Amino acid sequence: MKSLEVENLVKQYGDKTAVNGISFEVDKGEIYGLLGANGAGKTTTMRMVLGLIYPDGGTIRYHGKGYSNEQMSMMGYLPEERGLYPKVRVSEQLIYLAQLRGMSRKDADSSLKQWLERFEVPENYNKRVEELSKGNQQKIQFIAAILHRPSIVILDEAFSGLDPVNVELLKATVKELRDAGTSFLFSTHRMEHVEELCRNITILHRSNAVLQGNLKEIKSRFPKERVLLGTESEVRGLEGISGVTGVIRHENVYEIGIRNEAAGSEILRFAMEQSAITRFEIKEPTLNEIFIKTVGERHE
Amino acid sequence: MNSFWTVVSFTVRNKVRGKAFIISTLVLALLLSIAINIPYFATQFSGGGDKTTSIGYIQAGEDDAGTVTGNGLKAYFEAQSDSGVKLVSYADQEDAAANEKLLKQAIKDETISGYLTFGDMTASGFPVVTYNSEKLMDYKIPSMLQNALQIIRQTAVLQDAGLTSEQMAVLNAPIEISAHQISTAEGGEGKSEEEQGVNMGLVYFIIIFLFMAVMISGQMIASEITAEKSSRVMEILITSVAPLKSMFGKIFGMFVIVMLQIAVYVAVIVLNVSLPHNRETLTDLNINLSTVDPMLLIYSLIFFLTGFFLFATLYAAVGSIVSRTEDLGQAVMPMTIISLAGFYIAIFSISTPDSILVKATSFIPLFSPFVMVLRLGLTDPATWEVLVSIGLLLVAIYISVYVSAKIYRTGVLMYGKRPSWKEIRKAMKAYKI
Repeated sequence: MKSLEVENLVKQYGDKTAVNGISFEVDKGEIYGLLGANGAGKTTTMRMVLGLIYPDGGTIRYHGKGYSNEQMSMMGYLPEERGLYPKVRVSEQLIYLAQLRGMSRKDADSSLKQWLERFEVPENYNKRVEELSKGNQQKIQFIAAILHRPSIVILDEAFSGLDPVNVELLKATVKELRDAGTSFLFSTHRMEHVEELCRNITILHRSNAVLQGNLKEIKSRFPKERVLLGTESEVRGLEGISGVTGVIRHENVYEIGIRNEAAGSEILRFAMEQSAITRFEIKEPTLNEIFIKTVGERHE
Repeated sequence: MNSFWTVVSFTVRNKVRGKAFIISTLVLALLLSIAINIPYFATQFSGGGDKTTSIGYIQAGEDDAGTVTGNGLKAYFEAQSDSGVKLVSYADQEDAAANEKLLKQAIKDETISGYLTFGDMTASGFPVVTYNSEKLMDYKIPSMLQNALQIIRQTAVLQDAGLTSEQMAVLNAPIEISAHQISTAEGGEGKSEEEQGVNMGLVYFIIIFLFMAVMISGQMIASEITAEKSSRVMEILITSVAPLKSMFGKIFGMFVIVMLQIAVYVAVIVLNVSLPHNRETLTDLNINLSTVDPMLLIYSLIFFLTGFFLFATLYAAVGSIVSRTEDLGQAVMPMTIISLAGFYIAIFSISTPDSILVKATSFIPLFSPFVMVLRLGLTDPATWEVLVSIGLLLVAIYISVYVSAKIYRTGVLMYGKRPSWKEIRKAMKAYKI
């Protein structure tokens, strides 16, 4: 059974359609990526999944069942904007939120202490949220989303405001929870995070799902259009090879645009005649390129 | 139900621990203590209320009208044991300016606090008496002098008429009048003057109590909800607990806090009043709580609770429409005006508890918690009237809870500018509570 099934979800605000018939499924222990430019409908979709706003059409199923108050306690939510009491102590409000979702006070307290320890901020236990730095607030916000051991977690821009070290820390935690069976619905603008974490993705553009499916398959669907070539000495005449669309010289590598994969082997043969090769790679398109290509094309 | 109490305890704990709450409670408790003790301090500073006021006058010749009047007053006040006024005679200096100088010097030396001068003879049998003192608007002494002169004249005239001293005593005895409130309703008991006094006190107390509770907690409820909304905790709350529970948890939490706060104030008042030096004042007030009708207490409690929860739910609705704390004051204004109106109608009608205004407003929810308590305390409204009023209140609470919970649920996701009524109505249709 899927942890989360979204079918043909529609939301309209007045004349404007915010979400137009989106469907996707999230497996147990899967991180599902929801991508899109600003205002594409990511947050609206997430809010509908949370039950914060009701869809105008379509259905959402949680572990095969419809929305009910009992389902709420299985969900964890990290909102894009800060969602904590600024003047209340960290321990107070996190235990409170966990209690509201059916955890016992004692259980919540010991669990909170463990998480703070894990995130290397045990001193924040008794601090007010307004006293914390943005990154630390984000950590607390993250703990608030997962403290009650939800089975479905919704992360809206979870890693914003964090330094690279802490991003790694949170990513590792997310992966760990995933392996323990938690399902995630994950939105971000940072494509490298998606590539690292998500199995399946949906790219939203102007309320529509424009690209959807397994990340690997999506990538294989896009032609490989780039070759990286590292050589001992200079190679001339790369532009002349048929199928090459352009050459960019970096400090010690050539980035060569190609029309199709066949041109790759031609480039390799040509380069080997002139110099020893230190590196040769036909690059998969990055998600970033795919995203820009998909979303950008539709801008016209 | 469990999460309801979680919300209640969180609300109470956060408020009670807050510095603002503790400080404001302490400051008000201190002010109350001072206010209660002011009468005592005042008497201490003025050197006690039984200090006699000395009034000077010039003793001229035996047949001088002014001197005769002065001597008469002096004899009259000496005859009274505790009049608090004493007349002091000064020898004539044969010169008006010198007399004035002498008397003024006496005031300066504080041997007298004022002096009398006498003008032309009038038809009353006395010359025009002027009381000169440094104080502005000193009405007490002149009116005492006037009373004294009237009695002196009356005595003189009656003695001439040949009345016996018994007859004189009868003439001077005070006449007693008391008012008794009756009920025209079947089986109504009416209220004695003493009962009325106690009831009036109770009514004042309950009305002020309700008003305070509504004002304090209403503001707090609205601003808490707005704060939750602007910090977006609301999004997490709404996804963890049913909106009705979280709204009522908050309202009930505030109710506990207000009760706690008011209990502190009442305790401070009782403590201060029972201090030894204030005890006399208490017995003077002659409060006998056993004369209070238990039904009045029960009805008062019902009206207090219904009134509180009606206002509280409406304040919660207002709080959830507004998204920034800055806009809250303006949005809460209508609620404040309504509660003020109910409060004032009740307070200003305390002497006319049977007016049409009172009768009409005692059925209107939002006003009735104030006004019906007044009617119950000071008149004897028919039972059906009270029950209808309570019934209407309950209907109003039901509607207000329903609408407020909808607005609460809906308003949470409305950010930016204050939404129009049309938007609220439209959005409300979309949500279950």
